[in-house]
Amino acid sequence: MAGDHMETDEFFSKLTDLFEYNRKKGHGTIYLTQKRLTHDEVETLSSTRVLDDPLWDTHPDNPLPVLIRASNNASSKRSGTNRPGTDRDNIDKIKLSTVVQSDKLDTFYARYAEVCKAGMSGLKKRDRKKGKKDKKKKKVGPAESKS
Amino acid sequence: MPYFKTNTEWYEQSSLLLKARPTTTRITSKYSVLKPTASKVQKRQKYAAKVAAKSKSTTDTSSPPPQSQNLEEPTATFTLKTYDPISGACLQYETTKAAEVGRLIGSLGRLGRYMAALPEVAEELSVSTENAGISTPAVEKDTKAGASAADPKAGGGGGKKKKKGKK
Repeated sequence: MAGDHMETDEFFSKLTDLFEYNRKKGHGTIYLTQKRLTHDEVETLSSTRVLDDPLWDTHPDNPLPVLIRASNNASSKRSGTNRPGTDRDNIDKIKLSTVVQSDKLDTFYARYAEVCKAGMSGLKKRDRKKGKKDKKKKKVGPAESKS
Repeated sequence: MPYFKTNTEWYEQSSLLLKARPTTTRITSKYSVLKPTASKVQKRQKYAAKVAAKSKSTTDTSSPPPQSQNLEEPTATFTLKTYDPISGACLQYETTKAAEVGRLIGSLGRLGRYMAALPEVAEELSVSTENAGISTPAVEKDTKAGASAADPKAGGGGGKKKKKGKK
């Protein structure tokens, strides 16, 4: 996988597609992962320095980039069973990844938040109106019984 | 692997873990939409029946008619998991509310700054100073707090505890 990270714009457009795909399907899972990218750093570090300072990674010389990954859940078709829950399709794994340089973190996360908020449409909406609705129905209820 | 009750608690613990092991710790967020299981559908049916029975018995106060939620409606969850494979520490938080997503991604961003080894955001500093202001209402205590603040900054937590003891 190393070496084929996407540009930020491509990552976001693909991530939007991934959420959209999940919505159309009606079910499914999207995994988002973030971690420090130390691949290059570790190679250049001399082993003596690591030995001298085992906690070097808590205070690196330069800010490090962050690796962001996104994927869906792959599934394979099960054959030979007719039990409920085994009627799933073959779905290939879709993998996205991007590297965010430390100076672009803030702008990246601002966009990331927008994309995720738009994409995670299945979650419960804030139902502020619930209480008001109840009151209205309470008012309507007795009125109907009177008439 | 604990599930935290509040996202702030999850954030605080995750930031501590990231400070200790910034290279190996990863954060996985899982957005999952699942069809309800058979038992879940059954539970919903039972609940709907219970609500219906209740509304029948108390017709005069007339609780609102049961929102005939689709029994087959999929459940969506958003789970955040901070995991460090070296120490095995795993911190989790799960929500079903769309309103929390923005805040959670915001904390992912702040945790990302730890990963990138950037200094903490200025916002957090202002928050910590606000806290200090709240916890030091009396002037006398303020001066003492100032003296303790002259000590290394890590002693801030200790200072707060002392103040609580005095109250």
